[in-house]
Amino acid sequence: MNFDLDDEQRDLASAAGDFLRGAASPADARAMLDSDDPAGAEPQPGRAALVSSGFATITVPEDLGGGGGSLLDLAVVAEQAGRVLAGPSFVGYARAAVLLAGDDDRLRALADGSTSYAVVDGDGPTLDAVGADRFLSLRGDDLVCGPGTVTTRAPMDPTRGLGQVSVSDGDVVATDARLRWDHALRVGRVVLAAEGLGTAARALEIGIEYAKERQAFGRAIGSYQAVKHSLVDVYVQIENLRSLVWWAAWAADQAPDELPLAAAAAKGAVSTTLQAAAETLIQVHGGIGFTWEHDAHLFWRRAKVDRFLLGDDVGAFDEVARLALAAAAAVEAESVGAAR
Amino acid sequence: MDFEDTPDEAAWRSTVRSFIEEHRDELGQRRDQRSFDDVVSRQRQALLYDGGLVGVTWPVEAGGQGGTPMQQAIIDQEMSRAGVPGLINLIGIGMCGPTVIHHGSDDQKDRYLKRLLRADDIWCQLFSEPASGSDLAALRTKAVQTEDGSWRISGQKVWTTLAHLADYGIVLTRTDPDVAKHRGLTMFVVPMKAEGVTVRPLRQMSGGADFNEVFFDDVVVPDSERLGDVGDGWRVALTTLMSERLTLGGGGTEIGMSASTVAEHVARQIGGLSSDRQALVRQDFGRAYVDTLGIRYTGYRLLSAISKGAFPGPEASAGKLAGTKVARDLADLSVRLLGDDAAYAETADGSSSWQDAQAGLPGMAIAGGTNEVLRNVLGERVLGLPAEPRADKGITFKESIR
Ligand SMILES: Cc1cc2nc3c(=O)[nH]c(=O)nc-3n(C[C@H](O)[C@H](O)[C@H](O)COP(=O)(O)OP(=O)(O)OC[C@H]3O[C@@H](n4cnc5c(N)ncnc54)[C@H](O)[C@@H]3O)c2cc1C
Repeated sequence: MNFDLDDEQRDLASAAGDFLRGAASPADARAMLDSDDPAGAEPQPGRAALVSSGFATITVPEDLGGGGGSLLDLAVVAEQAGRVLAGPSFVGYARAAVLLAGDDDRLRALADGSTSYAVVDGDGPTLDAVGADRFLSLRGDDLVCGPGTVTTRAPMDPTRGLGQVSVSDGDVVATDARLRWDHALRVGRVVLAAEGLGTAARALEIGIEYAKERQAFGRAIGSYQAVKHSLVDVYVQIENLRSLVWWAAWAADQAPDELPLAAAAAKGAVSTTLQAAAETLIQVHGGIGFTWEHDAHLFWRRAKVDRFLLGDDVGAFDEVARLALAAAAAVEAESVGAAR
Repeated sequence: MDFEDTPDEAAWRSTVRSFIEEHRDELGQRRDQRSFDDVVSRQRQALLYDGGLVGVTWPVEAGGQGGTPMQQAIIDQEMSRAGVPGLINLIGIGMCGPTVIHHGSDDQKDRYLKRLLRADDIWCQLFSEPASGSDLAALRTKAVQTEDGSWRISGQKVWTTLAHLADYGIVLTRTDPDVAKHRGLTMFVVPMKAEGVTVRPLRQMSGGADFNEVFFDDVVVPDSERLGDVGDGWRVALTTLMSERLTLGGGGTEIGMSASTVAEHVARQIGGLSSDRQALVRQDFGRAYVDTLGIRYTGYRLLSAISKGAFPGPEASAGKLAGTKVARDLADLSVRLLGDDAAYAETADGSSSWQDAQAGLPGMAIAGGTNEVLRNVLGERVLGLPAEPRADKGITFKESIR
């Protein structure tokens, strides 16, 4: 067993971190909120920069202009994106790369940035609908791609580019595509969890920094257990989330049978962990944490929106339970059979 | 990244598996075991030791095999898979033994270590006292050196797991009250059958009696039974506590409840519930199951790091914190599924395994460092948060107890 990133993945994470820190920050997320049209504002680094950096399309094959990398590679990059609340999400790129497999022209267009795709899940809010020019959706069991009309509403978190999409008639990219669709959704959940991991980890860091500096009753607030212990509880959750994200990404690459459970587990864990991290961040900051000027609410907005993306946390825990119980029932049936 | 066994690990796994298969009947089943039966448990451990499955990571001179933590993890996995009951001498192996290995004399190592691994001798850890549990360094049990060099120990220990079965214990004592409290401590090995040692079983809330009060009344211990230097007991105790950390909660092993056993139980019971209830049960179970997966894979990360030479630090405590929490969630869920029987100490057909599991868990959040103390350690050593101010700093032990 060697459950750890390798040196190349560490280098990749650090290069992605350098790029993303220079290209996006919570200040950009705040600027979107402050703009005249938050729902239509352009997130940073934006599609063009993300695509030309090469990071967004790591999982597209090399001969089509992508990075030819694994989902685990993309996950370590997405974590860095989550730390700076970058937009648009790496989720859309990851899902599109899976859905468009076999359609070389469209994959090339994804990798060179000439087409911006978004993936539409029924009537719900679509991630990164804003700024997309082609929409992938399921019609019956067919995967279709076409233009669409996006309706936006006042966003809770403008960096997510959410909108309602009505898809016009599109071309059929693949028939009988239900399994591929489900797989892409799970891959998307893994990447969403990786971004949330980065967001949560950064929120914890900011909380720790403040807890060391801020004084009350003659000592740093981080020396008070109520504060210290709540930060530790977040730390423990984040470490477990990190393990689930890596496992799920590894499963997508190496053990597809494990992916349904792993992706649902990562999705459920990121929902609760990111919310705990963001809420703790606000609490540790006291009054200042509740101001518009402080970054805490930008992390909180991500948490409160992300939990509903690609299915909600309640559904994810239910799916985990169903899968685990079905596996347990199968073991039981086998041993009953063997006893006869 | 991978979860595959290396060829060496795979070979080891099959050795372990076939040994367990071969001795299936002698090894017994975990679910049949409520408390440690002295004789049977010793025999089981001796059998496993002779088969090479106890103390693999210990140095060869100490009776071990100089093996890797990964080999140990494989043994743990295979024993748990086969439902083999835990080792009786876990405290000896996990805490006392490593302390003797690091701080004992050659003579002590020769006399004790191999016998400890075979459970020829059972060991206990005599640290906690009525007035000093979390604040361990505040202990009062005295050791005074006499003219012939031997020591006389007097005082009281408490919550000592397995003291009633133990042959030896490591005991932390105060040898100098006139220096700061961490400075004046010294560690010894004591034979539990020595003159002046009295062990009184304490009944636990779960009904069992695995821990005890231990009284020392002028117990004479030769200087050759000292572990480490006089006054250096705190440093010696830290070795014990570090090893304890890894034993409890490192490596992603499940605490108290096995998630797969719970899953089988839920799968069996859930069909009899209304669909509303089923949804609630799945919600609770799904959340708890995700927690167990997170803990398991975090344990794998720790093991991978250790096998590359990293030394497990305080972050290993995170597994115990998260593990005790999820174990309680799973136990509560399991008991609830018993329906009306959940209100009783056993089911109508006389089985108490889920109720017993539930009643054992509060102790896990206390033993080996309470949740609060572990959070302090993680907060200060891992997150780098400032320590709490303490009232006992810069004064001697004597002044601190006034
Ligand atoms: C099942 C079981 C087995 C045990 N086996 C052994 C054994 O074999 N050998 C042995 O030596 N001991 C053993 N113990 C004792 C165990 O180590 C102590 O109970 C434990 O360290 C707590 O000490 P205490 O009981 O004195 O509680 P206290 O230290 O009095 O704690 C009481 C409460 O105060 C809290 N508290 C104390 N200090 C702080 C602090 N600084 N910050 C925040 N909260 C604090 C605690 O978290 C706890 O909630 C065992 C205990 C149990 C339950």
